[in-house]
Parts: sequence; C-alpha cells; structure tokens
Amino acid sequence: MIVLDKVCKSYDGGRTFAVRDLSLEVRSGETLVLLGTSGSGKTTTMKMVNRLIEPTSGAILIEGRDVMAQDVIALRRSIGYSIQHIGLFPHMTVAENVGVVPRLLRWARRRTDERVDQLLGMVGLEPVDFRGRYPAQLSGGQRQRVGVARSLAADPPIVLMDEPFGALDPITREQLQNEFLELESEIRKTIVFVTHDVFEAVKMGDRVAVLDAGELQQLAPPQELVESPANEFVDHFLGQHRFQLSLLTRTIGSIVSELDASAPPPPSRPEVFLPARNSLIEALDLFKKTGRKSVPVYRGQACLGELAKADLLKAIAQVLGEAGSAA
Amino acid sequence: MIALSEFFQKLAAFFQDYGQLILVKSREHLELTLIAMLIACAIAVPLGIALARCRVRLLVNIVMGLVNVIQPVPSLALVALVMTLFILIKLNLGVPLPGTGMGVGVTALVAYALLPIVRNTFTGLRQVDPTVVEVATGMGMTRRQILIAVEMPLALPVIMAGVRIATVWTIGTATLVSLVGAGGLGTLIFQGLSTYDVGLILAGTLPAIALALVGDWMLGLLERWLTPSGLREPPMRG
Repeated sequence: MIVLDKVCKSYDGGRTFAVRDLSLEVRSGETLVLLGTSGSGKTTTMKMVNRLIEPTSGAILIEGRDVMAQDVIALRRSIGYSIQHIGLFPHMTVAENVGVVPRLLRWARRRTDERVDQLLGMVGLEPVDFRGRYPAQLSGGQRQRVGVARSLAADPPIVLMDEPFGALDPITREQLQNEFLELESEIRKTIVFVTHDVFEAVKMGDRVAVLDAGELQQLAPPQELVESPANEFVDHFLGQHRFQLSLLTRTIGSIVSELDASAPPPPSRPEVFLPARNSLIEALDLFKKTGRKSVPVYRGQACLGELAKADLLKAIAQVLGEAGSAA
Repeated sequence: MIALSEFFQKLAAFFQDYGQLILVKSREHLELTLIAMLIACAIAVPLGIALARCRVRLLVNIVMGLVNVIQPVPSLALVALVMTLFILIKLNLGVPLPGTGMGVGVTALVAYALLPIVRNTFTGLRQVDPTVVEVATGMGMTRRQILIAVEMPLALPVIMAGVRIATVWTIGTATLVSLVGAGGLGTLIFQGLSTYDVGLILAGTLPAIALALVGDWMLGLLERWLTPSGLREPPMRG
C-alpha cells in the first residue's frame, strides 16, 4: 500500500505548487490512475513515489515506511518504472534491456535469462525471435511491450507507469491496453498509472484520481466518476464523452442480472467468451465481430451465464437514458 | 618499359639510402604520437565527463574557453611557446625542466590534442537522450552505473570521432616538434630542407603522410568496432 499524506511540491519556495496537499492511498493490488491535463501534477506525483522528484513537504509511505527515509537506490530497484518514451537503452538488446534491474540486483545469470524469457513470453514476444534484437529493430508496439516487460523484470510489488501507451497509434494502444489488463489480472501488482486520456483512465483503473492544478478533484472508481462527478471541473473534464464513458465504465458484471444462467455451463472456458470486467462497448464489439446471438460470460474460470445480444442492447439503451438525464 | 625499370631502380636505391632512417624516425614519430595521445585522452576524457555533468554553466564556459584558446594558436608557435615556457619555469622557479627534447614535444602535442577530445566527450555525453538517463535513474542505477553502462556507450562514437581527429592532427603536428629536439620524421624534413636534399625531404614527408592516412583509417575501423551494435544496425526489418 502506498500512502500519500498531505504531499506538496513547489519549485519556487512556496509561491506556486505543482502538487498541493495531496492525500490519497493506493491499495495493494489495485491500479490507481492519475488523470489530468498537462501541468496537473500527475507525473510529478508519480515521480515522488520513487523519488525522481522529492516532495517539498508531506510524506509518502510504502508499506508504512517513509520513502525519504529509505536508501534511494534500493527503493527504486524495488519499484517497476515504465514511461511514455519507453526509454529503452538503444545500445542494449531486448534481453539486456529487460534484464537491467535483475543485473543491478546481482541475480545469477541463469535466473535473469529465465526471467527475461518468461517476461517476453508474457508480453507476447517470442523470446527466441526477440532476445537478441535491438530497440531500433522493433516497431513502436513491440518496444512498448519490452518497456512493460522491463518494468516487471525483478517482480516488484509496485509499478509506476507514465503514459506507457501514449506514443502508440490507437489500434496498437487498445491492443496493448487489453493485453496489459489480461496480464495485470494474473500478476496483481500495485500500479500507479498516469494518463491524460479519460478513456484509458476508466479502462485501466480500479480507481481514478482526477488532478487539476496540483490538487485532487475526485478519487473514485471509474463508474462512480462518470456517473457522479464530484465537482464542475470533473464534470467538465469528462463532459463531451459522457455517453461513451458510461458504456465503457458499465461492465458486463454490473448487468449480471440480465444473464441467462439456466443453461448448464460448458465444461471448460470456450474460445469465444466475455470477461465479466469487459465494458458494454466491448461486449457489443464482440457480438459484431462474431455475429453470435449470445455469448458466455466468465469471471476468471467461472461461468456466470449466457448474455443475449438483445439483453445487451436493452442495457445499453438504459445506460444511455440515464446518462442523458444526468447531463 | 625502360622508364619504369629506371623508376624501380631509383626506388630501390632510395630505400637502400634512406630505409633504415625512415624506419627509425617513423618509430620515433609513432612513439611521440602514441604517448601524446594517451596522455591527452587521460586528461581530456575525464575533463569532458566532468564538464558534461557540471551544473555550473559559468565554470563550463571558462574551461571550454581555455581549451578553445589553444586551438587557433599556430602549431609551430605553440611548440615554440611550450619550449619558452619550460625554459622560463626552469630559470625562474628552479624546477629542473628540460628546455628541449621529447618532454617539450609531447607537452605541445598534448595541449594541441586536448580540444577535440574534450569537446566531443562533452557534446557526446550531453546529447544522450535525457529520458534514457531518467529511466535509468528511475530503475535504480547509481550515477556511476549510468555513466558507465548507459551514457559512455551511447557517447562513444562521438568521443571516438574526437580522438580520431586529434590523432590525425597530432601526427601532422609531430613533424614540427623535431624543431625542439623531440625527434620524429620532422628531423628528416627539416634537414632535407636546409641542405636542399630532395631525397631526405621525401624520406620525411611520404612516411608522415602515410602514417596520417593509415592512422585515420585504423581509428575509423576502431570507431566502427566500438560503436554499440544497437546504434549501427539497420532499422527494423518488416
């Protein structure tokens, strides 16, 4: 768990604040998204966790220990870090890049090699093919995958991600977001995720903290954020995307009552299924892609029932109606 | 055919007359260059690193200014200046410095070779992508580890280009330090000039040119070899 307690950062001795009186908790295993425009203080906040930036006042505690009281090098090695510009070392191969922190931690060579292969596999890069390549020989999406693998290399409990998918085209970005969600559900890390993209925020976050001018505006799960913005700023920030956001934040799990659980579940998870945490929009996409009338919904390996297309459309109409009356 | 065989005869005679001398003087020349370059690198690379990391801009400007001042001084004048300086120090401070010889020559060569190496080390390090350095910091590398494992490899091609330029200059300037008794191929050239001995002049100049060309070529290879492969691979395939 990460606790920020009245954290301030000022670069001019207190006249203006990049971050002001920020108090929040990042719960163990959750993905907390820091959402805001540029200059909102979101990246500054994230960088104070691994002390790339040091707070002017206030405290940041990780598992109860003040980060300022810890050895900065050891602290950083225990926290995964991945950024928008990826920052892969151009003179190192993919394997060397991913193995940086394990090497710093003096892991045995064999252990590092095995970990690298495992991670490359996890992010969908065939180790045999990619180990020896240099960053210049990768596409943007592949580099980003290596960046994510690198941040997870030493299996840190906490990972900081600064717009990790920001520099990608929309299609690749969505693909990587989905892959990362899938990956994240298996590895359960505490993640601080910085983005300016509202859609990315509601998609990736268990909770979203909206920042403006260095101050916390609202901290809530995506659905609550979209459906009951705390103030005018948040309302305005989400503003024109309200309809889409409502469909994105309403998960299949939330309309679970519409499911038809009468049919006996198939013995194992079939090829075509809907994860319960998928949004209504993603469900709609799946129906469009497969042309089926109904699909089974799964939470992990457990089947929750069949979702019929007609029921999904009904739910969508209802959500849109609610969002319309709220606006 | 007659002209050609005559040419080869003359060439053979030339090597018979001067071969031994060329070998000895070329060796001296190489020694001068190597010693000067080793000392210059040992001073200039750490200096360049220190300057690149220095946050006080004024200090950087002053040091770079000092190094820059040496460059426009004509090489012949610099050699003479170093000799004068050595003699002045010896006379006024009683420090037992030689007024002539290899020490004086090497000092002048080192002073001359500093600038390209310092400048290229400085710019090479400064042009390393700051996000790469930041991510290295964020991952928990120490400053020293970042310098050795990230910044230096990325700056190496630029630093090596500076070393290469400095070496070629030094090979050229080393022909002048024979004037202060430091030896080298310059000895033959100046002797030849003062006695109108064309053979002697050629025995000095041709090897000097050859040394410069070969040195440049070999350092080019070294530069390529030292460039991290990730920086010279062709862009991604497919």
